[in-house]
Amino acid sequence: MSEIGTSVRHPDAEEKVSGGLIYGSDYSLPGMLYGLILRSPHPHAKIKAINIDEARKLTGVKAVVTGSDYDFPLFSVAGVKNVDDRLLAKEKVRFIGDEVAAVASVDLETAAEAIKKIHVEYEPLPAVFEPEEAMKNDSVLVHEKVKNNIVNKIEIRHGNIQKAFSQSDAVVEASFETPIVHQSYLEPQSAVANWDAHGRLTMWLSTQSPKLAQMTYASALGLPLDKIRIVQLPMGGAFGGKLEYKLHPICALLARETGLPVKMVNTRKDEFLAGVPRLPMKIWMKAGCRKDGTFLAKQTEIIANCGAYVNYSQGIQLSATTRHDNLYRLKNIETDSYLVYTNTIPKGCFRGFGCPQSFFAFESIIDMLAGEIGMDPSEFRLKNASQKGDKTPHGWHLGSCGLSEAIVASTKVADWKNKRRSLPKKKTAGKAYGIGMACCLHVSGNRAFLPFFDGAASYVRIDEEGRVMVSVGEPDLGQGSRSTFALIASHELGIPVAQVTVSRVDTDLSPHGLGTFGDRSTTITGSAVRNAAIDARNMIAEAVADELNTVPEEILFREGFVVSKRDPQKRLLFAEAAKTCSFKKAGETVLGKGHFIPPGVTMVDPETKVGNISCAYPFVAQVAEVEVNLRTGEVKVLSFWAAHDLGKTMNPIMAEGQVHGAIAQGIGFALMEEIPLKNGKTIYNTFKQYKVPRATNMPTIRALFIESNDPIGPYGAKGLAEPALTPVAPAIANAIFHATGLRLTKLPMTPGRVKQHLARFPI
Amino acid sequence: MNKKERVKITVNGSTFESLVSRRKSLVDFLREDLYLTGTKKGCGTGDCGSCVVLVNGEARTSCNLPAYRANGTEIVTIEGIATGRRLSPLQEAFVESGAIQCGFCTPGMVMEATAFLKQNPSPSENEIREAISGHICRCTGYVKIVEAIFMASQNITTDD
Ligand code: FES
Ligand code: FES
Repeated sequence: MSEIGTSVRHPDAEEKVSGGLIYGSDYSLPGMLYGLILRSPHPHAKIKAINIDEARKLTGVKAVVTGSDYDFPLFSVAGVKNVDDRLLAKEKVRFIGDEVAAVASVDLETAAEAIKKIHVEYEPLPAVFEPEEAMKNDSVLVHEKVKNNIVNKIEIRHGNIQKAFSQSDAVVEASFETPIVHQSYLEPQSAVANWDAHGRLTMWLSTQSPKLAQMTYASALGLPLDKIRIVQLPMGGAFGGKLEYKLHPICALLARETGLPVKMVNTRKDEFLAGVPRLPMKIWMKAGCRKDGTFLAKQTEIIANCGAYVNYSQGIQLSATTRHDNLYRLKNIETDSYLVYTNTIPKGCFRGFGCPQSFFAFESIIDMLAGEIGMDPSEFRLKNASQKGDKTPHGWHLGSCGLSEAIVASTKVADWKNKRRSLPKKKTAGKAYGIGMACCLHVSGNRAFLPFFDGAASYVRIDEEGRVMVSVGEPDLGQGSRSTFALIASHELGIPVAQVTVSRVDTDLSPHGLGTFGDRSTTITGSAVRNAAIDARNMIAEAVADELNTVPEEILFREGFVVSKRDPQKRLLFAEAAKTCSFKKAGETVLGKGHFIPPGVTMVDPETKVGNISCAYPFVAQVAEVEVNLRTGEVKVLSFWAAHDLGKTMNPIMAEGQVHGAIAQGIGFALMEEIPLKNGKTIYNTFKQYKVPRATNMPTIRALFIESNDPIGPYGAKGLAEPALTPVAPAIANAIFHATGLRLTKLPMTPGRVKQHLARFPI
Repeated sequence: MNKKERVKITVNGSTFESLVSRRKSLVDFLREDLYLTGTKKGCGTGDCGSCVVLVNGEARTSCNLPAYRANGTEIVTIEGIATGRRLSPLQEAFVESGAIQCGFCTPGMVMEATAFLKQNPSPSENEIREAISGHICRCTGYVKIVEAIFMASQNITTDD
């Protein structure tokens, strides 16, 4: 009667739909103050003086803090060695939006007043915005010690690239560009902080990783770890953007300064000005193949603009530089990849972690190669697709691989063969039609993300009434991981899923968990929950074996009962068994503990970047059908077919939801979204300017699930949420090419850009 | 500079009298003064729909409406949609069809759709899409939200 594989809805659905759930930005404490940040108006400047006297004098203002008030250590996010940031700028500002000062006041209006009354004397410095400029020898330096502004260079060399190109019958190359895009989670970043009389800080945060937040903010504030408690609150979307964020420790600073609880919430303008948007890249790629379609060689140069501070960009760069090489059986690879400082907004994690950028280039190049030798692009992909059991040049072991099945399934439902022939002929009334595809792969947890360890732990607590409480260190971002964990625990304990609650994360109570990112929840945390549930089950079996006249190993947990395998008449209600177990130990709670260390997983080699970074790799093939308006340049996505090898579908309704949402974000990335900068200034402040897909922009979507049954993932399951976004933009670009013969290499493919192309190459 | 106005507003059937700053938006008044945090604030500029409430029966964004301008109106927020613990058929449909992920857009969507279905009890899919085009959902791709509103419209018409 396992409910795994059936649709279980979100545990909070009722509370959410009736407005009762308290999100991060809803949280409040009695007597709380409100905080605001003063940001730099200059892309690069020396801070000569800051005068806060006037601001401080305003009635209602309780604290004004600046960088020169403190001697804090340099700041950066957990696990990343590049500590180049400060909580509040000292001496220098490096981008428009850099945090300079913060104010706490009895209300927001007074705080805003006070912000205006802080006088900062700047000495503007020359600034650099484009990474190619920044890499030049005579460029301005964003951080004095970093030569040529190159934070990190990665060189990948596999096989013999020159020989492979000389053996190629077809060689293509192109330059691609991806923009700065914002996660646009609907709930802005927020924080509430409070210090107790013993100098211990509690923060209520909507964060993807309470543990990383605790570690990072402890070092930022110069506190021992045990002096910070993070209580995770429900969040209105995250998508990678809600890992550590400076607003949180700044809020803590104001709370310490005032001795009162302080709340801070970003405005949407703050989000666009100083959020942590997607790392933009310029990618040059060259590829070669034989005329039979054998993919031989690929050469790449990536220049990624991390902005003023590194944040997580180094990991994102690594992912963008290497992951796509594992999709096909490719042996000859040469890549040079640069991460470059500029005086622009610092970037961060966003669903796909560098892959939407690099796969846009890669999967476009694949279509160009197939076109060059006159081969159907789906055939080309099938011919070269990685297979189960492969060990890739980067050292990945593909324990399961449903790539070929996904290609076959998606093209079949899309009526690919027929449409490839018929759609280009369909030109009617100034409109052209086409169909295109793209593939990708991803990880289920990424060992290269953090140095300390990989894996997860869980507690499964069963009270004497038989109610089950699962704790993990990985928050639910809204995608429904709590329902997956509940499903797993209920499956192992043989009880209805409704009897299981999964708690939110609290660093005082939950296991040390790295957090939710890198598609690690289902596979890694899910396995830990499974092990903890089995541990709890064993304790109960041990306690009731006598009563059931059997031995613990011969006891089954099913349909709400604890049953003797040999004599099914001998059974106890699950709750009774839990009570017996607890009462036998003087009321001790049944507390199962479990952890999971992904087997066979290694850090990457520091030089070659070779390493099996994940225990299971999900695969995707997506097909897009588009209509291109030849007069206006507008591209409309008509239909989308998405085949996902997720190993095992744990919860179909949630899995579909992940695919739908990712495709919407992918359409935004492909066609609409961009934060343009003008002299380093973010010129879009609102959702009026920054356009994200609306209900009217969405195609019909068909999600297909391929169950490749991974040998390591729990019940065969792998990651799903991130790779669902990655192929969307190249699938659309390839469909536009099919419709018009125009190869668009710069995102987003807005009507203006398409029109420009149409004007240059009329069709 | 921070002028206050006396307002009398009925929210979900209860009347509140209060002094509010002319600069305070209705959404902030609801959330901060009345602690009705079910109404969400995703943008503050009228572009995302998360703050939609019913003002005299009409769905509108509350972040770009100063609270004092709502003087004398009747407001319904998401907290006023269910009857006790019983969800409205539309709310049920959202829950059943998996239209809720993070749920931050949900209150605004439910308010919009509640007003919309009153005017147009059996809409087409396209009409539903148009009706919620002022709302952003970043999680669901709108697929199951449109399904939920459609499902509710079928139920409402067959129930009557
Ligand atoms: S908060 Fe009012 S429309 Fe976004
Ligand atoms: S469910 Fe998250 S924004 Fe709609």
